[in-house]
Amino acid sequence: MSSYDNAELLALWLEDNLTPEQRNIFEQRCVQDDDFAQQVEAASTIKLHADGYQDFDVPQWDRDKTFDCQERANSQERGSGQERANSQERVDSRNPFGYSARRQRWAWLPSVSFTMSALAIVLVLTGTQVSLTSGELRIRFGHEQSQLAMSKLIDSKLDTFKQNQQEAFSLYAQTLQQQQLESASQLTNYLLTSSRKERREDFAELIKFVNQQRSDDQLFYARQLNQLQQDVYLDANGIKVDGTQQ
Amino acid sequence: MFEKSDEQLIEKALKGQKKAWFSLLKRYEKPVYHYGLRMTGNNADALDLMQDVFISVFRNLSSYRNEGSFKGWLFRIAHYRCIEFYRRKRPMQGLDDAPEIPCTAQPAEQLIENTQRNAQLVSAMQQLPLAQKSVVELKFFGHFTFEEIAQQTGMSVNTAKSRLYGALAKLKTLMEVDYVEL
Repeated sequence: MSSYDNAELLALWLEDNLTPEQRNIFEQRCVQDDDFAQQVEAASTIKLHADGYQDFDVPQWDRDKTFDCQERANSQERGSGQERANSQERVDSRNPFGYSARRQRWAWLPSVSFTMSALAIVLVLTGTQVSLTSGELRIRFGHEQSQLAMSKLIDSKLDTFKQNQQEAFSLYAQTLQQQQLESASQLTNYLLTSSRKERREDFAELIKFVNQQRSDDQLFYARQLNQLQQDVYLDANGIKVDGTQQ
Repeated sequence: MFEKSDEQLIEKALKGQKKAWFSLLKRYEKPVYHYGLRMTGNNADALDLMQDVFISVFRNLSSYRNEGSFKGWLFRIAHYRCIEFYRRKRPMQGLDDAPEIPCTAQPAEQLIENTQRNAQLVSAMQQLPLAQKSVVELKFFGHFTFEEIAQQTGMSVNTAKSRLYGALAKLKTLMEVDYVEL
């Protein structure tokens, strides 16, 4: 069973918007559903009648009335109200979609809205201030601030400025402290590194010096021992060896 | 000679050019008159309705914003003026009610002498409720789409379709009866 109802199908057919699938459904329904087939036939007949409708010229009528009516209506409105009986008709003819009395009741709303908007603009432009302090209502025009409001404003501005300055100062101090810490640690590192290097060099010099002293000593002792050995040999033989005995 | 567009004529009419307004009037008076004739079934009422419609159109011409066709806007006004016309004439009758009192004024059929079909169709349409009649009128004679009809009459597209469907069954019966009587 298709999801299209008869009215929908007929509407699509009338507007010649049937898809091939819808056309199949349409044709099936024409065959199977007698009521629907009769409706389609009726639509065709009426379409035929409508297409064959022969319209004739409009009888003579007062076209000027449609052009002059605006001025006449205005003059009627300016009038003293003699034609109150026709007022409803005038209202109706001013209203193209015939919303009549119910909506006419709210016709004042746009004008009131416009007036209020204009008043609001005037109040803003003239800088009107309304203040209620201890049961006293003050309406002030112009943009001059009251002394109190001005001092309050200055105080608040100053407070804000002070706060900003304090924040900036604390931030500056913090940054400076951090910078000092960093430089101190760098200096310490440098000193430690450099002193280690110097000590290492000093020790190397010392060891070198000691080694040299030891070699000198060894040489000295070797010479002494050599001398002693010669002396011992001389004493034992009683012979003075040439070149050795002085 | 080039024909001026609706928008050009409206612009000139708004500047107070009577000639431009009359050109616009002449362009649309026939469809509006025949719309009135089919909707009221009566020549005098059709003329009154047409005048009412054009007065409204003229007074509200400045509010036309070129959104959609001028014809659509015009017929939207015509539809609401027609409803208002019916309210004035038969205040107790609803939009979906069938006419209670047959029209006793000069029937439109007398004026429509060109074809018998015109008379038959107009006569049958008079027996439809206003809501159905306006959908038939706008669909078959105004050649508007269902979306345009929905915009003009303030009903939903589906309602317009179902009203037309309902109207067709009634019209067929009424026209068959008329045919037998003739």
